[in-house]
Amino acid sequence: MKKLFIFQILFVFAILFTACGKKDEATPNLINAQTVTNLAADPVTIDPATGRPIGGTNRFTLYNLKDNRVVSNTDSATNKWDIGFRGTTIIVNGGAIRSGQGGAYIYAGLFDEFKEVPTSATFAQDNSPTALAITPTAGMGWYNYNATTHVITPIPGRVIVLKTGDGKFAKIEILSYYKDAPTTITSTSVSRYYTFRYVYQGDGSRRLQ
Amino acid sequence: MKKIFYFLLSLFFILSCTSIAYSQQPDTLKTQALEAVTVTATRTEKLLGAVPMPVTLISQQQIRQMGSLRLGDVLQEQTGLAIVNDHGQGLQMQGFNPDYTLILIDGEPLIGRTAGTMELSRIAIGNIKQIEIVKGPTSSLYGSEALAGVVNIITETPKNTSLRLSARYGANRTSDLGLSANLKYGRLGIYAFANRYGSGGYDFTPETFGRTVEPFHTYTFQSKIHYDFSEKIKLKISTRYFNEQQEANFDLGRVGQASLVGGQGIVKDWNLNPTLDWQVLPSLKVYFRYYHSQYATASDLRYLQDQKPYESTFFDQTFQRPEIQAVYFLGEKHIFTVGTGIVSESVAATRYQGRKAFATKYIFGQYEFTPSNRLSLLLGGRYDQHSVYGSQFSPKFSVQYNIHPQIALRGSAGVGFKAPDFRQLYLNFVNSVAGYSVFGTEELPFILTQLKAQNQIAEVFVPSATLGALKAETSFAYNIGFKIKLSDAFQWNLNAFRNNVSNLIESQVVAQRTNGQNIFSYRNLKSIFTQGIESDLSYQIQPNWSFSAGYQYMVAKDREVIRQIEAGELFRRNPQTLVTERLTLTDYGGLMNRSRHMANAKVFYQNATKGVNASLRVIYRSRFGFGDTNGNLVLDDDSEYVKGFITCNFAASKAFWKEQVQLQVGIDNLLNYRNPSQQPNIAGRLWWLSLNVQLTKKSSL
Repeated sequence: MKKLFIFQILFVFAILFTACGKKDEATPNLINAQTVTNLAADPVTIDPATGRPIGGTNRFTLYNLKDNRVVSNTDSATNKWDIGFRGTTIIVNGGAIRSGQGGAYIYAGLFDEFKEVPTSATFAQDNSPTALAITPTAGMGWYNYNATTHVITPIPGRVIVLKTGDGKFAKIEILSYYKDAPTTITSTSVSRYYTFRYVYQGDGSRRLQ
Repeated sequence: MKKIFYFLLSLFFILSCTSIAYSQQPDTLKTQALEAVTVTATRTEKLLGAVPMPVTLISQQQIRQMGSLRLGDVLQEQTGLAIVNDHGQGLQMQGFNPDYTLILIDGEPLIGRTAGTMELSRIAIGNIKQIEIVKGPTSSLYGSEALAGVVNIITETPKNTSLRLSARYGANRTSDLGLSANLKYGRLGIYAFANRYGSGGYDFTPETFGRTVEPFHTYTFQSKIHYDFSEKIKLKISTRYFNEQQEANFDLGRVGQASLVGGQGIVKDWNLNPTLDWQVLPSLKVYFRYYHSQYATASDLRYLQDQKPYESTFFDQTFQRPEIQAVYFLGEKHIFTVGTGIVSESVAATRYQGRKAFATKYIFGQYEFTPSNRLSLLLGGRYDQHSVYGSQFSPKFSVQYNIHPQIALRGSAGVGFKAPDFRQLYLNFVNSVAGYSVFGTEELPFILTQLKAQNQIAEVFVPSATLGALKAETSFAYNIGFKIKLSDAFQWNLNAFRNNVSNLIESQVVAQRTNGQNIFSYRNLKSIFTQGIESDLSYQIQPNWSFSAGYQYMVAKDREVIRQIEAGELFRRNPQTLVTERLTLTDYGGLMNRSRHMANAKVFYQNATKGVNASLRVIYRSRFGFGDTNGNLVLDDDSEYVKGFITCNFAASKAFWKEQVQLQVGIDNLLNYRNPSQQPNIAGRLWWLSLNVQLTKKSSL
């Protein structure tokens, strides 16, 4: 019994050491599991009678993953941004209507399980406002829509595998569509505020862990 | 493959029973002189004990003892039935949504559903003879909608000259006034019934404008005329008229502009049903039936500030059906039934382009074979040919075998279906505010072509070959169980059931317009199964006291969800930690709004000499799914359930003056169970008081 206990302790230490070792090996280019909270995606007020949004700017919030910051809309025709958000629509910086080299596809599985972009992967692009890399339709892209409660939830187990504006790789998991990621979403919850986490690989390799 | 297996299994079962039956001497079963008769299960009058499928029968006496007013009041106390709230109060049977149970009055279907729900409060039950409930698919006799089963309300037949008046008042200013009259004069019998039922409603949220249940009142008129031309030819004409008016009040929540809206909604239905029974030969009887039914709703909502219109809608549905049925008795062992008819239906409504119509021609047949007192077999089938979507064949096979005079085994297997309805075929709805649109499958191809020509379609998500071809929703089901009747005082029924349901129709995004808005239509998407076991036990402890207990265990699950879980493709996100994990099969709680356990216990006291009656009924529903909280739209977390609950109903009465006057008091929901946010349809504790006067003319014949 005692032996087993010692063995267990040794085992835990072994894990700790290997874990630390791995961390040391990580390339400085890898931004590991960064979480972005409350990124405004053209917030609006909703007319409670009609459900129709009021007061939007109709502009996308553009984001740069490497620098972990919002990019000004004046830079929309550059490859400085990697992903953009407006309501439930998510855009990438690549394709016929974009300037960058980006693209995306949706991987069904756990964020942590996705370790490397397979060489066989094909990235879809934004080729027209109605032919986007990430389908902005409930149940078909990144979110579910509950017709009874009118709540938007990111589909659990969906990872956006992204090629950035400058051709690097990243993976993104949308965590919430509501301000402060509330545990219970009610009719007073404020929508169009993204919380997401991502891993970005700056060295150009396909490894995402 | 599976279907074949089940058929073989049932065949094996029958064969084995048959062999036993022939190997034993049939002994005579003493038929109870007063045993109840049911017509729903076979469409011929049959002793309840001889019907080879699960049938529940609720008598007028029982309904009056419970003090029930509307159909839902009675059904919610029956084993395995739940009242669910979706656009009205509907019936859940064997785990099916209300869409899949047919509600009949004297064998003719009641029409007018809202989002699939047949509102049970439309049916007054103060005047009826009995309610018959048949579980399991019954499409082999009744066609579409009889997947889960049928509920048949049998109205009174005038046998004497009498008058009955009943008046009731209770909490929430709920009142009920009923008058029924029977007149029997030689060959002529007339029955008339009038009822007014109304309530002041109630409000769980007094801080907001508009009540939880708004005030309403309804009127029901029913009449039945019997005329016997001879012993052989009998005519019967039934009519029904129903009218309900309910207030509507709500707050749009707009600031600085007209926000309060109010108005009235009206629901009406009326039926005409002449039938002629002709005993052509002692062994042959022919029924000629005609049924016309109309259902209409209208609502007019206006801004309260200036009475300018907010929304005005209407819905108008018709149903007509001539039918002929013949029953032929060959000796004592064989009964043949055949029938044929045509159903013509139409709808005109706010969200439809013009009046839409379709027709169904059908033929059905049934063969009942009773080789011995111990064994009875039933083989039936119905073929429905629909003018729009196609045709459907629904067979059914049942068997009952008495292994002992007091123990009967029974089993049945059959196919049920529900034809695509008007909404699924013809809806033409554009939400001009939110922008999306919904089209029935018959409208969709034309509209898509039109929009494509105008360059308004960005993408079609569904292969065009599969668009517009909607099939009927079907189920293959079997029931197996036993019935033990030790004496009149002790009875125990047990029934296990399984329903494999496929081609369930759901709405889905089929295309996207260039402006980014979605176009929805209907498609055959889902496959589910429901299975369970139900038990009903009744025991008369003493002449005055009787006790009954019922229990149902049931699970209902979506096959696609199970497949996704097994493939590791379904996940959930903890709303607190935002951590995602894979779902396991044990996490999956099945379809929403289904309780795994439902139970009831009832005690009835009856003292005829003192004219005293009392009953206490306790009903339990275990927790059931309410809505998704963790993003996957599937029931898999404790926070997604409504807690289980108990309701308790009590009634007591005393009769005076040779039973001509009866005073009754009652308390519904004695324990005051309330859940305003999740079950606003359950009011709190309700007391009531009623007075009934019954005058019967002494027989002068």
